[in-house]
Amino acid sequence: MEAKREVFSSRWGLILAALGMAIGCGNIWRFPRIVAQNGGGAFLIPWLLFIFLWAIPLLLIEFSMGKATRYGTVGAFNKLMGKKYSWMGAWVGFCTMAITFYYSVVTGWCIKYFLAGIVDGGVGTRSTAYWDSFTHSYQPILFHFIAMALGSYIIYRGVVRGIEAANKLLLPSLVVLLVISAIRSVTLPGAWEGVNFLFHPDWKLLLNYRVWLEALSQSAWSTGAGWGLLLTYAVYTKKREDIVLNSHITVLGDYSGALIAGLAIIPVAFSFLTREEAFEVMASGNTGLAFIWLPKLFTKMPAGSLFMSLFFLALLFAAISSIIAQIELVTHIFMDFGIARHRAIVIVGSIGFLLGIPSALSINFFNNQDWVWGLALMINGLFFAAVPIKYGVSRFRKELVNTEGSDITVGRWFDYVVKYFIPLECVVIIIWWFSQAITGNPTTWWKPFEVNSVGTCLLQWGIILAIFLIFNRWIASAIVKKDEKEAKE
Amino acid sequence: MELGAIIMMIIIGGGVFGGFIYCLQLAIRKERAKKEMD
Repeated sequence: MEAKREVFSSRWGLILAALGMAIGCGNIWRFPRIVAQNGGGAFLIPWLLFIFLWAIPLLLIEFSMGKATRYGTVGAFNKLMGKKYSWMGAWVGFCTMAITFYYSVVTGWCIKYFLAGIVDGGVGTRSTAYWDSFTHSYQPILFHFIAMALGSYIIYRGVVRGIEAANKLLLPSLVVLLVISAIRSVTLPGAWEGVNFLFHPDWKLLLNYRVWLEALSQSAWSTGAGWGLLLTYAVYTKKREDIVLNSHITVLGDYSGALIAGLAIIPVAFSFLTREEAFEVMASGNTGLAFIWLPKLFTKMPAGSLFMSLFFLALLFAAISSIIAQIELVTHIFMDFGIARHRAIVIVGSIGFLLGIPSALSINFFNNQDWVWGLALMINGLFFAAVPIKYGVSRFRKELVNTEGSDITVGRWFDYVVKYFIPLECVVIIIWWFSQAITGNPTTWWKPFEVNSVGTCLLQWGIILAIFLIFNRWIASAIVKKDEKEAKE
Repeated sequence: MELGAIIMMIIIGGGVFGGFIYCLQLAIRKERAKKEMD
């Protein structure tokens, strides 16, 4: 059985794939916006702490689960938590799949804007109208199709010739593009005011709980911890592959990418705008910043359309390297149910394209899905923490994390973080985001068909959770059937 | 740039980039050692 499974050809192939998974749009369009809205330097301190209080422990859990069980999310929860808990793995897989539906739409937007930067010099001068006419047309469906087809094709080629080869091209190119953008950005007149803002510590802000919660949210959404993606990649690792050092490299690489993106974007805003205007730009939301304001700002700099194209190419590379991990995760779940890999990819690609169409056609639907399934990732964190807690955290660390081949070992701090911090963080962050939704929409927060309401989360989560709980026995037996089939072979 | 911002840049930038490069170097050394042992 082991001989049949394709594995990453080298440790570097795995690390590049893991970095590609982690460095996505969250680093490039979210981090600079969130750091600017939360006081610059002061935000960076809790953000740094959550490396150890969220990202690394969860990635260690994911990596260990995938490597130990050699199953995707459903099978891994089934094997380590017990058959009764297979629904937890199904929930984790569904969350990432739901994110893939609209993430592919974002990838499509990046393709469009990269091409637009090359052929249409007017994107920046009439950016709001351009964005509105694009998103109100049928074009996003075409670009969403291209993104999903491209991601599926890479996965179709296999682990080494597909995932590994794509990331060997995408990751170094992404780093070069981000570094070029950052150098251009900090060499603009007045740009250092932006750099100063990025790192200036306003210590009073550390007493503001909002800064801490935003830092935790950023760490959770950007590093890929709790998505189940690293768990899936870990299935394809060699038996003696290190877990601890590779997880550290993944998180620190992701954070490095975010800092470079911050240096590439924040100084541009401070260079061309007043301080107040720069804050207004940063408060304009992910899509507002990336697709309306940045194209506008790029027109103000020499060779602006070239730098705009380079920026969207970087965003595109970051998005593709993440979406292939997402498609692989869902594909692997289908494979665990006994469906052949190539057939599973066709099914996942087709479902992903069809269910992404509503997000491609409606920004409100897109925002709703981003709200519902982005927040659901916090529940994933809770589920992942539950695995070592049920298994015995110390035992989990000794048997599954600090395994043969580990370059460094993880200490007892892991036990405390997993047992106390991660469950607390999950609960606090969900309550906080819900309270934000309630205070922001005091009369409509409970309505299930509002874009950013508590009601829409509870309705959609409830439906999916109910389905998986009802069919849990069937889900668990499908994994067992696959085991029996492989044992016979 | 203010002194506080410069210090923070060194701490945060050094911590993140330095940590990343240190971990990568450690991985390179460990891989080399494993190859030599094999």
